Amino acid sequence: MATVGIESSAHTFGVGVVEDGRVLANVKSMYRISDRGLIPMKVADFHQKHAGAVIRRALKEAGVERVEAVGYTMGPGLGPCLRVGQLSAIVLSRITGAPLYPVNHAAAHVEITRHIYGLRDPLVLYVSGGNSQILGLEDKPQKHYHVYGETFDVGVGNMLDSFARAAKLKPAWGSSVARLAEGGRYIAMPYTVKGMDFTFTGLLTNAMKLLKSGEKRDVAFSLQETAFSMLCEATERALLLTGKREVIASGGVAQSRRLRDMLGVMAKSHGRKFYVAPDEFNSDNGAMIALVAEKMHTAVGMKPKIKGSDYGIKQRYRIEDFMIRWG
Amino acid sequence: MRKISEGAEAVIYAARMLGRNVIVKERVAKGYRIKELDEQLRRQRTKTEAKIQSTLYEKGVRVPGVILVGKYFVVMERVQGKTLNRMAGVGKAHDRRSMGMAMAEAGRVLGTIHRLGVSHGDFTTANIMQDRSGRLWVIDFGLAAFTNSEEEMALDVLLMKRSVDSGMYERFIKSYKLGFGGKASAVLGRLGEIEKRGRYQTRTLDSA
Ligand SMILES: Nc1ncnc2c1ncn2[C@@H]1O[C@H](COP(=O)(O)OP(=O)(O)OP(=O)(O)O)[C@@H](O)[C@H]1O
Ligand SMILES: [Mg+2]
Repeated sequence: MATVGIESSAHTFGVGVVEDGRVLANVKSMYRISDRGLIPMKVADFHQKHAGAVIRRALKEAGVERVEAVGYTMGPGLGPCLRVGQLSAIVLSRITGAPLYPVNHAAAHVEITRHIYGLRDPLVLYVSGGNSQILGLEDKPQKHYHVYGETFDVGVGNMLDSFARAAKLKPAWGSSVARLAEGGRYIAMPYTVKGMDFTFTGLLTNAMKLLKSGEKRDVAFSLQETAFSMLCEATERALLLTGKREVIASGGVAQSRRLRDMLGVMAKSHGRKFYVAPDEFNSDNGAMIALVAEKMHTAVGMKPKIKGSDYGIKQRYRIEDFMIRWG
Repeated sequence: MRKISEGAEAVIYAARMLGRNVIVKERVAKGYRIKELDEQLRRQRTKTEAKIQSTLYEKGVRVPGVILVGKYFVVMERVQGKTLNRMAGVGKAHDRRSMGMAMAEAGRVLGTIHRLGVSHGDFTTANIMQDRSGRLWVIDFGLAAFTNSEEEMALDVLLMKRSVDSGMYERFIKSYKLGFGGKASAVLGRLGEIEKRGRYQTRTLDSA
């Protein structure tokens, strides 16, 4: 029996359908970021307009008759955008009579990767627009993703986007920076790692300044190499400290081929394996929300005891506050 | 020379030199990053580590004495012991007493280091060793800096805060204040600000 998941934390309104861990549909409608970036109310309006159609298309593609459970992204994300997904999910749940499950967005990115490759306890580099964290499962006090290290300021995705905008590129999750960086030469830039934590603002400020004098391509190249090397180093330190056997990357920036290459080389040098999910699950999507909602629905003790007031949104929902009640 | 450890950055060899037990800490090339960046980082960290460790040694802080510095390696005194994160049964009840004492000592040492105008940059239980007679040694100064920045110092405290539970942290911070003296309160004030910055909320091992 099928579970539907609705994702709307930022510029994507996504609806996924999952059955027994298999993805039957994963439909998305994406707001095109303008040069001025993301204005939450506008994006929410856009989502509102497309929500019904996206939900219908996903259900049709999946060809399911009955909906067993409904999941939605509770947070973290932009308030107005989250609200649209939440309300759509409530309506769908009322219509179908299926119970509703609030899901943590970051945990969903990680969980779908862990699920696809059947991994029990990987070390995770979670890299998205607003976030950059090194995570791993810990059992105490209850099973959850513990944050071993993270950015002290901005997420790597937003950092690359800010640079792309300053360099007058198309802001598209760093991929335009990557294209510009091809064939660039290295210029030394601020590199700030504190154990397993790191900061990006010094690096960004420096790159913006260099844009005025230096060759654009060299600046993009050096910015990307420096930022990804920092992420890789912090991940490497966490890998050796925790002794975990596998490494995964997930989240929007995990679509970067360069970052993947680096993590792959790093993992291999310590005899560990590196995994990353197909791009459709690293960009925002509803399938991952459906997958986690299905796991919540199946898990012991998670039968819908949740009260109406718990179906809220949490703009700053931290991943360690989301319990993982399954294997 | 015998390889005794492989850290994230360095390979550690044990050796004897001039009748003393030493280790050679060699920062190895990382294939994942471009050569220029790789060499720059390894050179700079090797230099920083040797310089800061020697300075602290001269001022009487218990760090391994530096014997020799190369482009990518440092030879230093060997500590006969283990890092705190690898101490037997960390977290078990009967060990809490000795761990508590170690935390108090670690707080005092960090306070002293800060008073001398140095931030460590990776102050966790993985970079503090305890020798057979129970004395603590701070190691791994590659990410350290000469600085009076309250922010840098607050980050050292924060790293430790996150790697131990709240009881241990309390003991740590009490003696940190003693080791640092008057300026500790400015650093702790800054720590509060960092934690309030919103994006960054403190995670301790006992918070769910
Ligand atoms: N002076 C020393 N005497 C004995 N053992 C040492 C000494 N210095 C380091 N070691 C051992 O080697 C390990 C790694 O050393 P260190 O922390 O300096 O490098 P690293 O871990 O590679 O650096 P990073 O923490 O930046 O990854 C330590 O955990 C410790 O077991
Ligand atoms: Mg170390």
